[in-house]
Amino acid sequence: MRLRFPVHALPPEAERLRAEVREFIAQELAAGLWKPGGDFASHYDPAFSRRLAARGWIGMTWPRRYGGAERTMLERFVVTEELLAAGAPVAAHWIADRQSGPLLLRYGSESQRREFLPRIARGEIFFSIGMSEPDAGSDLAAVRTRATKVAGGWQLTGRKVWTTFAHLNHYAIVLARTGDAGESRHAGLSQFIVDLKAPNVEVRPIVNMAGAHEFNEVVFDGTFVPEDRLVGEPGNGWTQVTSELAFERSGPERYLSSLQLAEAALACARERPSPRLREALGRMAARLAALRAMSIAIAAELQAGEMPNVEAALVKDLGNAFEREVIAVCRALAAELPRQTAEFTTALAQTTLYAPSWTLRGGTREILRSIVARGLGLR
Amino acid sequence: MTRQTTAPLFAPDPVVAEAAERAFADLARRYHEHRGGNETAAREKLLAAVEELGFAEALAAADDREGWAQAAPILRAQARAAAPIDMAWLLATGERAAAIAYDPDCYDAGAGLLPAREGARIALALGRLQQIGAAMEAALALTLRYVQERKQFGRPLAQFQAIQHSLAVAAEEVAATNAAADGALACAATEGIAAARLAFLLDAAALVAGRGVEVVRDACHQAHGAIGFTREYALARHSLDLLRWRDNLFALRGGELACAERLGDRALAAGGLWRTVTAAMTAGGSHD
Repeated sequence: MRLRFPVHALPPEAERLRAEVREFIAQELAAGLWKPGGDFASHYDPAFSRRLAARGWIGMTWPRRYGGAERTMLERFVVTEELLAAGAPVAAHWIADRQSGPLLLRYGSESQRREFLPRIARGEIFFSIGMSEPDAGSDLAAVRTRATKVAGGWQLTGRKVWTTFAHLNHYAIVLARTGDAGESRHAGLSQFIVDLKAPNVEVRPIVNMAGAHEFNEVVFDGTFVPEDRLVGEPGNGWTQVTSELAFERSGPERYLSSLQLAEAALACARERPSPRLREALGRMAARLAALRAMSIAIAAELQAGEMPNVEAALVKDLGNAFEREVIAVCRALAAELPRQTAEFTTALAQTTLYAPSWTLRGGTREILRSIVARGLGLR
Repeated sequence: MTRQTTAPLFAPDPVVAEAAERAFADLARRYHEHRGGNETAAREKLLAAVEELGFAEALAAADDREGWAQAAPILRAQARAAAPIDMAWLLATGERAAAIAYDPDCYDAGAGLLPAREGARIALALGRLQQIGAAMEAALALTLRYVQERKQFGRPLAQFQAIQHSLAVAAEEVAATNAAADGALACAATEGIAAARLAFLLDAAALVAGRGVEVVRDACHQAHGAIGFTREYALARHSLDLLRWRDNLFALRGGELACAERLGDRALAAGGLWRTVTAAMTAGGSHD
């Protein structure tokens, strides 16, 4: 695998867009519409998502005929990184924008694209990921949820867990077994767009360690899924869920989860920073710059139509490690900050509570390192 | 999505890269085969060969995009081959004195040579970063080969997950170091070494490389066991090169803590880490 990514500068139009996004965020904050905090997976605000959509910043790389703005991946990169750096509430539309929409664009039918993409881009409908199950975590091929062919569609039976915001979102893209697993265990899987409000779908809360209800268990008890909600070819589910991992793993959400905490520490000590804080902030800046350079390189390759999945796994592992280091450093420095603002103590508690989830979601540290090891020819 | 793509800001010259890889691999092989006894003569032969190849001139002329596109692959080829001839020093000074030949077995934890001129120190730091990235690549490549051949407990070391993950983490540090090193180089190549944001990028790259050297050396030595701790096995050369270039790089920047504190001070002065990092990474932008 490559251990040297090309250097890309963000083009001028992307930098102009950054100014627009910063201006938008400043207005939102001035109007007191939300408080910075949380991260891409926990800070949920449908009204914010709709205001973002009104700017054309959801589904922004998609074709206009599906409600997109035909902007580049690098422009999308700038919008997402600015929103995340500001701690904006992006969770409602995040999965639909990053994952479900692109999936439908690539594998969905024309009628699925016309039905769902414009509504996603308008911030009207939100999606969950229906992959993990009680016995299928990192080993996704072990899914047991089954879809059986019936007249006019499919009958879905099984349980999904850790389904973030299934109680608030409209749809989930569910991975289910439709045929034999085969030797590779990757055969016989299919993806379906499932209406979370449909009959025989039960959404039960799973409260997380931070005390928040974000996760759910979703039970399908003979749920009817119409024929036209099958995404792509039956049996092609594994290829579909693994084909765009670079998209899911290389983005700024993989290294910015604790940025708000670092910024809060900086704000607490701006007038009288200790040498140790100056050093710690400098080390964070250095690490952040390297991660961002790699993430931009991957965004440029995505723009060129490539899918550098192994490199993305590398960036995610490094990024998640950085996110967690920031917390440890800020905690160690807390006692010598000249003051501790409410922003700092809240961010410290929140990031500390959520940190274990960062190195799990979207591929565990162990899975990512195994992917990199395979890229190195070790497996 | 529109298919409009952007070209990389900086790309090494592939022709120079290929020629340099071949030449330095050959020079290093001959040096290490024939030294035993008369090391001075072996080093002099090396110097003469480098003069002949014209690589020295290419390095002395590195001051724009084309110049750096030739200089970077030469530096990397020398580092990858562990040819004991310090090509980066030629970035700092046109003189082709014996100073560029060094004893590959010697490490003294000293600062190394420091040019007087600030511009020369910046150019040398950029060169050190390229050498460090390439030496890391070479150490890792050697280790990847070794763990696939070496068997313990009845199977190749490469099949142990602990080894796989340790080397995966090392690879991540190599990629981070290269990204930081190339970001600084691209800035120098396109905006010149006087660019305001270059100081940020160099300090940041030095910190990333400094940590990378620790992680990569640790993983490579650990996977090799005792053989990697011998003078004749090739890991030693890369390992010592990484140490001497890391030390010199930090000395050129006034020390590791100075790098970190300067970056921290910039962020404090600008009122935010994010603001500082995005500004410093914007082509043509200043750091704050």
